[in-house]
Amino acid sequence: MLLIKNKRLLLSIACTLFFVTWGCQRGQHRESGHDVEKPLSSVVPRYAKGFQIDHFNGYRKVTLHNPWNNNEPYAVYYLYRNDSTSLPAGGIKLKTPLTSLTVNTFSYFSFLSLLGEEDVITGVTDGFRIYHPGILHKLETEEVADLGDPFHPNIEMTLALKPEAIISSAYAQRDNYSERLIQAGFPIIYSLEWMENSPLARAEWIRMIAAFFDKETQADSIFAGIEQRYLQLQEKVKDVSSPRSVLSGDNFQGTWYVPGGKSFNATLFRDAQLDYRYKNNRERGSVGLDIESVLTQFGKADYWFGCEADSYAELAEKDAKYLLLQAVKKRQVFNNHNRVTPSGGNDYFESAIANPDLLLSDLVKAAYPELLPHYAFTYIKPLEEKAAREKK
Amino acid sequence: MHSPTSNHWKKKLPVKKNRRLFLLLFALLVAAFIGDLFTGNAPISPGEAWAALFGNSGDAIIDEIIRNYRLPKAITAVIAGSALSLSGLLMQTLFRNPLAGPDVLGVSAGAGLGVALLTLLSSTAAYPFIAAMGNMAQITAAIAGAAAVMVLILAVSARIKDSVTILVLGMIFGYVASALVTILQSFADPDSLKVFVTWTFGSLGGVTWDKMPLLLSLVVTGIVLASFMQKSLNSLLLGENYAMSTGQHIKQIRLFIITISAIITGAVTAFTGPIAFVGVVIPHFARTFFVTVNHKTILQATLLLGSILMLTCDIVSQIPLTGRTLPINAVTAVFGAPMIVWIVLKRKKL
Repeated sequence: MLLIKNKRLLLSIACTLFFVTWGCQRGQHRESGHDVEKPLSSVVPRYAKGFQIDHFNGYRKVTLHNPWNNNEPYAVYYLYRNDSTSLPAGGIKLKTPLTSLTVNTFSYFSFLSLLGEEDVITGVTDGFRIYHPGILHKLETEEVADLGDPFHPNIEMTLALKPEAIISSAYAQRDNYSERLIQAGFPIIYSLEWMENSPLARAEWIRMIAAFFDKETQADSIFAGIEQRYLQLQEKVKDVSSPRSVLSGDNFQGTWYVPGGKSFNATLFRDAQLDYRYKNNRERGSVGLDIESVLTQFGKADYWFGCEADSYAELAEKDAKYLLLQAVKKRQVFNNHNRVTPSGGNDYFESAIANPDLLLSDLVKAAYPELLPHYAFTYIKPLEEKAAREKK
Repeated sequence: MHSPTSNHWKKKLPVKKNRRLFLLLFALLVAAFIGDLFTGNAPISPGEAWAALFGNSGDAIIDEIIRNYRLPKAITAVIAGSALSLSGLLMQTLFRNPLAGPDVLGVSAGAGLGVALLTLLSSTAAYPFIAAMGNMAQITAAIAGAAAVMVLILAVSARIKDSVTILVLGMIFGYVASALVTILQSFADPDSLKVFVTWTFGSLGGVTWDKMPLLLSLVVTGIVLASFMQKSLNSLLLGENYAMSTGQHIKQIRLFIITISAIITGAVTAFTGPIAFVGVVIPHFARTFFVTVNHKTILQATLLLGSILMLTCDIVSQIPLTGRTLPINAVTAVFGAPMIVWIVLKRKKL
């Protein structure tokens, strides 16, 4: 029998194993290429802060900035058309235009549709939560495969589809899924547009993805149209005499998540001339509040957007405290359920990113209906009085 | 579990019968291993899989799936199944408690705390440090968490005479770690939360070839060390006083068992996420199967049965219901429990 005579030795085994592990880590972060030559021209986004496109002789360099660290990019792609093009070291090299993609994030469906590249999609995740009618149809006819959960898509099925690239959400840490795909030699186009905190900045990412299809000019004109419509409406709403106040989010298991002052929704409220109590808050994400704080801070808000219920009856049934909110008393509550499928698909999470003008129009129509008399809601919907089951 | 006073382990079954049983288990292990290699969501025929394994299937993607995905996954299933079961056996013997499992020392919860901290901190100022760790960040965090709890437990064990007190303290540490995880979760943004929750599902597919040597060396070290302890483990079954009367140094044995169990549980949890059930149940299964509590037999039986169950569970988790792979942590319990209940009902006891 093996007996350890000294417990220090025992502890030292544990410590050694621990430090061996520590020593085994390897710096495997994406390499960043060093370009010797200067770019011929560069696309510097007008709103988005997360990407940059540089044109060189024979190739383009797409840089995705790292939202968590300014010192190094999150990913660098070298896009080329001819195999003979010599490219700098490092980065992810892709021959354009891409002809097959698996897409693990709903936000790119609309960008790809607008660019006329919907047909390159061969795999998606969470098929039952998709709204996009074209992709839903292809899922039914099995032209597009459902790869499962977007947080850990089916690796075998992804590999078997042999996509030229995979669009996948980027997180602050490397996940096993990305790791496996990279090891198998599959390039990942990271989706980082969700880190942008303004509607126009998010929509501008269409210019980034367009580069992978050699459609930058087309994307520029699509985005210019989006930008023009958005700015026009913003201008139109600028002179409202008395701004209305707004509450957002909903109660989730005791915590009410409201948008932080530097968030996407806070920007949208500002652009729609809605007074948001947390407008000076410094959070980019959401702020968790208890229902008491919501009642005291937002009890007098005129409008409530992003409610999860479909009717006032349902709201009352969930929690009678909701009825204390002025927005509820005034029947000025809206959910994001205007375009949904029975299985849980919601266009708000898909095409809204590419249609910030419609998102803004929705809010303006709700709060200042006189400014948009002929507009019908796209993504949001006023709550109904009775629950659907009671009306039957 | 048999009562410590029952002298089952002294009874010697015919060696031949045991040998036959071991041969049967080994054959089952090989069959389950091959079955696991042949099962998956990608449409690959057994012929193609065989070709990819021993040569070239002619399709680089099939080669990639079989050699670099299914093969390391099956090996991980064997490692995780045997390690967790062994850890459960050690804990049940040490604490003489049939409900003890790899998680009683709080080591798995410590690993969870490490990963939860990483997930939450990854989008803060700690990002450059975490990013520098690359693909080992999650594993390092889990091992650090597990090691922290292990050091605590060892420090306590060195001072306390009574094993039951250690068991209770281990569970308390586990609860504290779980509570801290809950606090962290309540602060986390929905995306980080989902990343963490996904980790708690458990996954055998995350161990790539470059990570395999570390997992393998940690677990094999644990198994080899445990195999030297069969005699001490047997004497523990009769109570610590008896063990002491046979000249065993109880405190040292205890520290040794705890260290082995914590290392292998921590290592497996770090690489695969928490996997419940297997560790508690397999030792009982092994005792029933071989009608003995002698660790000379049970230890090996536990390793084999644990591997077989984990491979079988991995095969089940691949059943394409919706194109999704079921979380291995759920499959082990959902699929394993009826199997065990059936055995219990058949034999009317464990």
